[in-house]
Amino acid sequence: MGQYFADIVAAVGSAMQGMAITFKHIYKKPVTLQYPDERQVMPERFRGFVHNDMTKCDACNICAKLCPVDCIYIEAEGKAKERVMTRYAIDYNKCIWCSLCTENCHTGSITMSHDYDHSVYDRRSLVYEFMDPRVAKIPCHRATRIEQGWWVEPKEDKPGAGDKGDDA
Amino acid sequence: MKLMYDFFTGQLGLDAAGANIAVASVMAVIMFTVMALCAIILTWMERKVAGFMQSRYGPMYTGRFHGWAQAVADMLKILGKEDIIPTEADKGLFKFAPILVLLGSLLAWAAIPWAPDFVAADFDLGLFYIFAVSSLVVIGILMAGWASNNKWSLYGAARGAAQMISYEIPLALAVVPVVMRAGSLNPQDIVIAQQGGIWHWNINPITNPFLFIAFFMYFIASIAETNRGPFDMPETESELVAGYHTEYTGMRFAFFFLAEYANLFLVSMIAALVFLGGWWAPFPGMGWIPPALNFIIKGVLLVFLNMWVRWTLPRVRVDQLMHLCWKVMIPVSLLCVVGAGVWMMAWGQLK
Repeated sequence: MGQYFADIVAAVGSAMQGMAITFKHIYKKPVTLQYPDERQVMPERFRGFVHNDMTKCDACNICAKLCPVDCIYIEAEGKAKERVMTRYAIDYNKCIWCSLCTENCHTGSITMSHDYDHSVYDRRSLVYEFMDPRVAKIPCHRATRIEQGWWVEPKEDKPGAGDKGDDA
Repeated sequence: MKLMYDFFTGQLGLDAAGANIAVASVMAVIMFTVMALCAIILTWMERKVAGFMQSRYGPMYTGRFHGWAQAVADMLKILGKEDIIPTEADKGLFKFAPILVLLGSLLAWAAIPWAPDFVAADFDLGLFYIFAVSSLVVIGILMAGWASNNKWSLYGAARGAAQMISYEIPLALAVVPVVMRAGSLNPQDIVIAQQGGIWHWNINPITNPFLFIAFFMYFIASIAETNRGPFDMPETESELVAGYHTEYTGMRFAFFFLAEYANLFLVSMIAALVFLGGWWAPFPGMGWIPPALNFIIKGVLLVFLNMWVRWTLPRVRVDQLMHLCWKVMIPVSLLCVVGAGVWMMAWGQLK
């Protein structure tokens, strides 16, 4: 009989305790974010989608050769001062976000951005073309680039430390 | 009611029978509209309450302001769904069950006084009638489970029947002390007996502590009556898919859904009538608040309490459910009846 009443008291007590906890949560700020409107702030060195700044890139092919999964496609035509880039594409289906390309880029053009939400309906849309040769073929030689106003001074500090492009 | 009756006899020149039928039809339309509206509003409320209790937002997009149109959109969607009747189902019973479930709660809604003299069916056995017709829901649920010809449905229906019939006893017993105090089964008389501020309400533990306990007995039993958590045994989604309404789609499912929320608001309204002073404002100086608004606010607060319990406590087992009913709540309710009677005799509160 004593156990019977003790059980009732314990049940009522624990129910009250639980209800106090849920009631407190009504006034707490929700932990969820309204995703497309609000976004999480990514840490400084977050490895998002790889972005290439075409005004700096000189089609040296280092990134494409270093890439362990061969996801960077670079095409260029002509020789020496006439050399122009006709294609720069990254296949994000293959990319493993290893950051080997960004660490070894001597112009600092290729960086890891903070973008992470590129959902598409077709996996072919994940092959990102960074330039359109019909609009402009980008010269690769330093002298030609300076002449045509493409050149940007390479950065002194290690690429990827600052200046994150978010407009991939 | 008197006003409406006078309008039909005086202005429109109807005879007594015609005016009665007209008043009844108008009230039926009003009640059904309010019931559908309350189901829509309570669905939204339930989602928001559940969301905030779990540290999230709940619906936010539909209709811009806190997703207020989500429930409306869901209702429209459910109207457009295909109506499927299983081949092996008992077609007649299958079609009739949702109507019966909804009918049970709509009939009970008829006897609820929303404001002084604003009640569709005003008669002296009101409270008794409400408990009697709300038992129709049990038959509807059992019918739905049997007619679906699905073992999950039948399990759910059998559990529902066992649970709802068991919990009707403490539910009715908890109301008996109030009836003793008011000296009437008419909900209007019960409310009028509580006139004069919050300390005159039946829940006041100083006037009669047994009525205070009876309120909680009523509240727990009403959760079980409406098949909501932690007593949602008939529709345990982890075990029985959806229980008795597993096979229902579209409009027929909407009927069960509507009935669940109509019942939820019904039991809350009865609690507000019987224990929380019905349409009376909590303090004497607050007479300017419309009586119906007072009443609805009390009902919604009790619904919130119900949702709060649902989103806090885990579901009980079948044996725990029966243990709670037969070994705890019925003895305590009986004790409340006896205790309240003795208390009222001792202090001269009996009418």
